[in-house]
Amino acid sequence: MFEFTPRLLRNGQVEFNEVLLFDSNDEINSSLGVPPDQKNWMMSLDSWLGKRALLLNRKFPVGILIPSDTDLSATLGNQTKLLQTRDVAFIAIDFPSYTDGRGYSLAQLLKSIYGWDGELRAIGDVMIDTVFYMARCGFDSFLIKEGHDPQLALEALGTFTEHYQKSYRLPSTADT
Amino acid sequence: MYIYDDIDQKLVEQRVSQFRGQTQRFLKGQLTEEEFRVLRLQNGLYIQRHAPMLRVAIPYGMLTSKQLRTLAYVARRWDKGYGHLTTRQNIQFNWLRLEDAPDVLAKLATVQMHAIQTSGNCIRNTTTDHFSGVAADELINPLVWCEIIRQWSMLHPEFAFLPRKFKISVSGSVTDRAAVGVHDIGLQAVEEKGIFGFRVFVGGGLGRTPIVGKLIKPFVEWRDLLTYLQATLRVYNLHGRRDNKYKARIKILVKDLKPEIFANEVDEQWKLIKGGPDTVTEEFIRSIAGKFKWPEYDLNTEISDAFYLSQLAADAGFNRWSRTNTHPHKVSGYASVSVSLKATGAPPGDISADQMDAIADMAEKYGFGELRISHEQNIIMPDVRKNDLYMLWQELQLLNLATPNIGLITNIISCPGGDYCSLANAVTIPVAEAIQSRFSDLDYIYEIGELDLNLSGCMNSCGHHHVGHIGILGVDKAGEEWYQITIGGRQNGALKNAMNDDLGAATHSAEAAIGRVIGPSFAREQIPDVIHRLIKTYLRLRDSEEERFIDVVYRLGIEPFKKDVYADPLLSKPLTLQKESYV
Repeated sequence: MFEFTPRLLRNGQVEFNEVLLFDSNDEINSSLGVPPDQKNWMMSLDSWLGKRALLLNRKFPVGILIPSDTDLSATLGNQTKLLQTRDVAFIAIDFPSYTDGRGYSLAQLLKSIYGWDGELRAIGDVMIDTVFYMARCGFDSFLIKEGHDPQLALEALGTFTEHYQKSYRLPSTADT
Repeated sequence: MYIYDDIDQKLVEQRVSQFRGQTQRFLKGQLTEEEFRVLRLQNGLYIQRHAPMLRVAIPYGMLTSKQLRTLAYVARRWDKGYGHLTTRQNIQFNWLRLEDAPDVLAKLATVQMHAIQTSGNCIRNTTTDHFSGVAADELINPLVWCEIIRQWSMLHPEFAFLPRKFKISVSGSVTDRAAVGVHDIGLQAVEEKGIFGFRVFVGGGLGRTPIVGKLIKPFVEWRDLLTYLQATLRVYNLHGRRDNKYKARIKILVKDLKPEIFANEVDEQWKLIKGGPDTVTEEFIRSIAGKFKWPEYDLNTEISDAFYLSQLAADAGFNRWSRTNTHPHKVSGYASVSVSLKATGAPPGDISADQMDAIADMAEKYGFGELRISHEQNIIMPDVRKNDLYMLWQELQLLNLATPNIGLITNIISCPGGDYCSLANAVTIPVAEAIQSRFSDLDYIYEIGELDLNLSGCMNSCGHHHVGHIGILGVDKAGEEWYQITIGGRQNGALKNAMNDDLGAATHSAEAAIGRVIGPSFAREQIPDVIHRLIKTYLRLRDSEEERFIDVVYRLGIEPFKKDVYADPLLSKPLTLQKESYV
């Protein structure tokens, strides 16, 4: 799918989103159930875990998509070293609706228990009005939903300059 | 009173700017109705029967005379000249225009007030004992802890979109006046080996599925409170049900998992963050306590109570009011006063702008300019010299604010009901008035003694009917308004050390309990007679004047009451619903 307007907030800029979600039934792109070693492929956590052995040492590591109803301890158990930036380009957490707040806690768990320190991306129902909280919970990039001005979303990362909760960062300090 | 520092002030101002932008985008069509809905809710704006309703936060029920005057200003300028105090110690305005809401919030920010998280599926205003800081039986001062929780919960990035609303209550006293047993999290201060901490109850609540909270942690040391709360909320945020709004409260999760399993999951999460950056330090407590302006009591001179005592003897009306509407204070020579907003005919909890201004004046004249909102929807003047009580009483009388009924049957807790609320099944205000009119004889209501009568217009239970000694619930049957009666509910104290599931059962110990339905519902006209019948049964059965209505219900159960009510031909037919299922 081609996009005509950039709506991915990343590194303080608005970029085009070129990520493709891998479908193992896709006969053109699938080989042994994994996407070709090219840029911009993303796989669901379940399919990535299933094919993990085939996905190591790629030139272009894939991204991982985590649905909001994922039970991380059931899925990953105590394999707390599994997610490494050399194998995983980024982790995206899906927000099926902005009122589904599970993604915020999943982000915290990925960082605290599973030690993920690579790029964490929010996708789905991501609004101008929610990127600030997302950034505080550890998200670095944001695929802004259609109909929401990405430029305003970028500005919204500075909505609040103060905070009370000490264990959650402020977006402004996160980018430095 | 907590005084904002620059950070506190900046946050509420930045929140106003954010909401102003959101409102403008909505009005310009850049935010859909669905997108805007939750954003406005988290800023206290509901769409109600007549207009948007704005619920303004009064953190832990505490406010200054200056803030009360600003609320009066808001009521006059943007509303119809009055407000409604809620059972969560907040205030609501029922007649605002959406376009005006950002200006109202900006005005409130000038006096360190806001409407943040007064609605929506987030952590709501933390409530506490309305005598916090002045009660004689306090283990800790919950005001400081409520402020710590207020800051921690405000704009919390991880918990803004929970499965459902989330309410925390804190009790710092031996006697729980904060109803910790019927909150999502109830915190009861306790001491263990010379260190203080909190007993943590989780999963209490009223509404559609009333449940008394379960003790999941007998002791959390004070320094670990915030990380323990964070762990609890995280388990709820990840695992609470999101598929059914009626099963989304934490009480359902605790019940489904079993309290022990839930407690284990919280411990698992807690391990990861315990001792982390949100650990409370002594220095932090000192800095928060230091931002409170505490009353400067006159401790040096021996204050004579002679005038007070002589007026008590000389004036029966004053004596009566003193007995019900004044309360013991930790400092000798002082008392706390309940300003009753429960005069017959006035909608319970409603307060006019003129009354707000007058109470603000009196708070400065007879106190330290500080006030509290009680969950019983009255206003508390916490620090009044006993020798000033007589003068204060006379002033309150002129304003119709001295009804001597605190703790008595006419001090009715009530939601606004069908006259205002679009959720309600039935009206409440006329029912409250009819009961108050029936019990207008002061001698008689004194003879009845302590009795909590709570009234809700629907299952959402904003009038806390489940925990009324007598509870009245408006129900809708085939488009008609009916009223269901419960007895045996109580709101405190959750001190019992038990993890047992006592859903629906009124127990004999000193803990919160859910009232039980006495039988088929009644028509509105019958309610005063039904209440009167219950009272007559109580007076006949009590073994002494000391045995309260609630005690008799516990001693004898609901049967004798039920029997008397439904044996009365006037009450059993023909207005009683014939075919109805009830619990």
